[in-house]
Amino acid sequence: MFTALFLFDLTFWLYLAAVVLYIGYVAVGRTGLQLVAEGPRQLSTSDWSVPVGQLATMITAVGLFVNTAALAMRAHERYLLTGTFAPWSNQYEAMAFVAWSIIAGYLLLEFKYGIKAIGAFVVSIGFIAMGAASLLPYRYQTAEPLVPALNSYWIYIHVSVTLTSYAAFAMAGGLGVMYLLKERAERKGLQSSVTAAFPNLETIDELGYKSITIGFPLLAFGIILGAMWANYAWGGYWSWDPKETWSLIVWLIYGAYIHARMTRGWGGRRAAIYAIFGLLMVVFCFWGVNFLLSGLHAYA
Amino acid sequence: MADSPAEESLSKKSAEQSGWGRFDWSGLPGDVVDTLSSLKLAISLFIALAILSTIGTVIQQGESSDFYIKEYGEPLFRWFQTLGFTDVYNQVWFRAVLGLLIVNSLTCFYKRFPGIWRSMRQSQITVTPTFIGALKQHAKISIGREGGHVAEKMIDIFGSKGYRVSATRIDKDISVFATKGIMGRVGAHVAHVSAAVIVLGGLIGSVTGFRDFGVGLPGQTYWIPQGEFNLTVDKFWMDYYENGAIKSYNSTLSVSDPLVDNGKKQLTKTITVNDPLVYNGIWFYQSSYGDHWDQIDKAKVLIKEKSSDQVVSDVMLDWKVPMEIPDLGLILNVTGFAADFAFDSETKQVSSKTSEHNNPAVQLAITEENKTVTPWLFVDFPGIIDIPDSKYAFEITAYGPSKYTGLQIAKNPGITIVWTGCLMIVVGMALSSFIFHRRLWVNIQSEGEGTVLHVGGNTHKGQIDFTREFSELLERIQGIA
Ligand code: HEM
Repeated sequence: MFTALFLFDLTFWLYLAAVVLYIGYVAVGRTGLQLVAEGPRQLSTSDWSVPVGQLATMITAVGLFVNTAALAMRAHERYLLTGTFAPWSNQYEAMAFVAWSIIAGYLLLEFKYGIKAIGAFVVSIGFIAMGAASLLPYRYQTAEPLVPALNSYWIYIHVSVTLTSYAAFAMAGGLGVMYLLKERAERKGLQSSVTAAFPNLETIDELGYKSITIGFPLLAFGIILGAMWANYAWGGYWSWDPKETWSLIVWLIYGAYIHARMTRGWGGRRAAIYAIFGLLMVVFCFWGVNFLLSGLHAYA
Repeated sequence: MADSPAEESLSKKSAEQSGWGRFDWSGLPGDVVDTLSSLKLAISLFIALAILSTIGTVIQQGESSDFYIKEYGEPLFRWFQTLGFTDVYNQVWFRAVLGLLIVNSLTCFYKRFPGIWRSMRQSQITVTPTFIGALKQHAKISIGREGGHVAEKMIDIFGSKGYRVSATRIDKDISVFATKGIMGRVGAHVAHVSAAVIVLGGLIGSVTGFRDFGVGLPGQTYWIPQGEFNLTVDKFWMDYYENGAIKSYNSTLSVSDPLVDNGKKQLTKTITVNDPLVYNGIWFYQSSYGDHWDQIDKAKVLIKEKSSDQVVSDVMLDWKVPMEIPDLGLILNVTGFAADFAFDSETKQVSSKTSEHNNPAVQLAITEENKTVTPWLFVDFPGIIDIPDSKYAFEITAYGPSKYTGLQIAKNPGITIVWTGCLMIVVGMALSSFIFHRRLWVNIQSEGEGTVLHVGGNTHKGQIDFTREFSELLERIQGIA
């Protein structure tokens, strides 16, 4: 019998394999270019990078499938145990769900724009989320029943929307790192660098911006749903609890970003650094607050 | 997103021009409005609020002085107090920043929305090839067909992509203008107004609403002055998971309104943590529970005969239900309880020092040979109270505390406004994130038998997708036959 925990573990290994393949894809892309530059043998990028890239996408898709199955299994286990099924009811499940949304978002992006090199960054972040989840102590990983305050249908929508916005910000952060690498390589004139396989700077910048414009309204929606829940459960929609305040801080940070983008020439390197900073704030909101600051939202 | 200069002059800029930090309050109302509506101010305020809220989460809010002194030391605590860091969200400066953001976004709406509104209705724009050449996406195409035919085909092509198209003929030139997705920009402004709506709702709520905590004992009825009705707590109980963890706590509440139906019960509802009761705009939330401090459900009394020091009986009494023990010629009744016994020697009143069960005492009414005494017996100190006239000694060996239900009682007349604002902000943001304002201009000039086309376009956001769409459109234009 497959348990959810087994499937989550399997997801972890599949994502690891996907990361290795995407990095391999980028690296092979580089060798390909080098050979073309030097070579009497007309070896083009496509020789190796195409099959490696296809394999990477396939493994990622399988990983996403297993991740989905793991969440479904956990939902089922929860349902049997407690009668509610939201498979994002503790830190572990929430991380696995964030990993799921990052990977799902990435696959959509790859499907739409066909740029595989991004996988080396974004799938890595999904993998790190899954890996960080599996580092949690065992007692955080099991499906403990919910405390009365969390035992509500609001948890389905409030938590999933908020976590999805985190995934969008993670995507933007990954693209930010990618931008900085590429930009540095270009500045130094490193033609044959690994970054040759990356899309051009403008594309990376635009995609990062796009991710944030998706995360921003989602986070607003998530915060509002949280306020509605709080109003329903505690009789006040806003109580400056550390978690809700941090998600507001994160929202304000991205609000500043969105508006800065409206001003002339605000983008590129500055935006990339800012997106990475934003992601660190999201990580703090997601992990730091739960473990460092006390409040109503500490899952455990 | 660097717009081209030509686009700037045309659309009277969606972007900001002046340099950072140049706040010019030189007195002209126009300048004030410019400053108040500036994006720089908006960005600064977003960051300022983020920093202030960070202070508010890192330093715990609203604790006692002792807490801060222990945590941070005396000198730092003095600083915190002076700066208001122990209660950030209620400080004037915090409110001022929030207020300024609202003013800022309303001014922004006031300054910019009319332009967008105009461009929603405006249907004709004629432009020169130079203007088109300066657009981010542009191309020059020659087609071997006559201008009018080409223009018609273009209207079809743009129309099939969802553009609203208009064409104008000036002399021999034809200008085609196509636009879509203006709702995306309207959405941004909906978001700007709704931020003010939310804050307004919050203000109304804090001025006209209230939030209280009340304790309810099962079986008791309470007068709720804010709503002028009675609330009865019928029942309180807890549900458990199989492993013993608490699953939910529940209270059954009934409302009776003296003004309606002579005070007959209007409404009965079982509330749980995520499911409140609402009557006349007043909400009752299940918020906590606990052991009550001046009432119990049951008490177990051990009766010893003084002469022999033998246990002669062991009875379980219900609260305020007299029990006769004929063998011993006794009637016993539990008439009082104090969780943390205190006695005021002046008023001769018994009370509970705290709500904790630190020194529980039970008052027992003992009727023996038609005489009644009402001593207080201490649960933790059996045998220290002697009843001189009695043959017996009494000890309380156990008691069943009565649970109270902790109710949060709140009324918030501003809430509907807050939710309206929230709905608007979500809709506005969604529109602005998923719909992009795109414009296309074409200048068609006749050249011999055929025509020369200057095609250009720009987008407010989403460059990559627009670049794709633009090249797809060009392909189709080139295919015009
Ligand atoms: C109070 C909270 C605010 C919220 C929730 C908010 C929200 C938004 C959103 C969602 C957008 C669309 C972003 C995009 O298209 O990617 C936007 C655009 C914009 N915001 Fe704000 N904003 C706020 C305050 C302000 C303020 C104070 C200003 C003052 C200058 C401002 C100026 C702008 C401008 C100029 C745009 C571009 C409008 C356009 O597309 O025509 N915003 N805002």
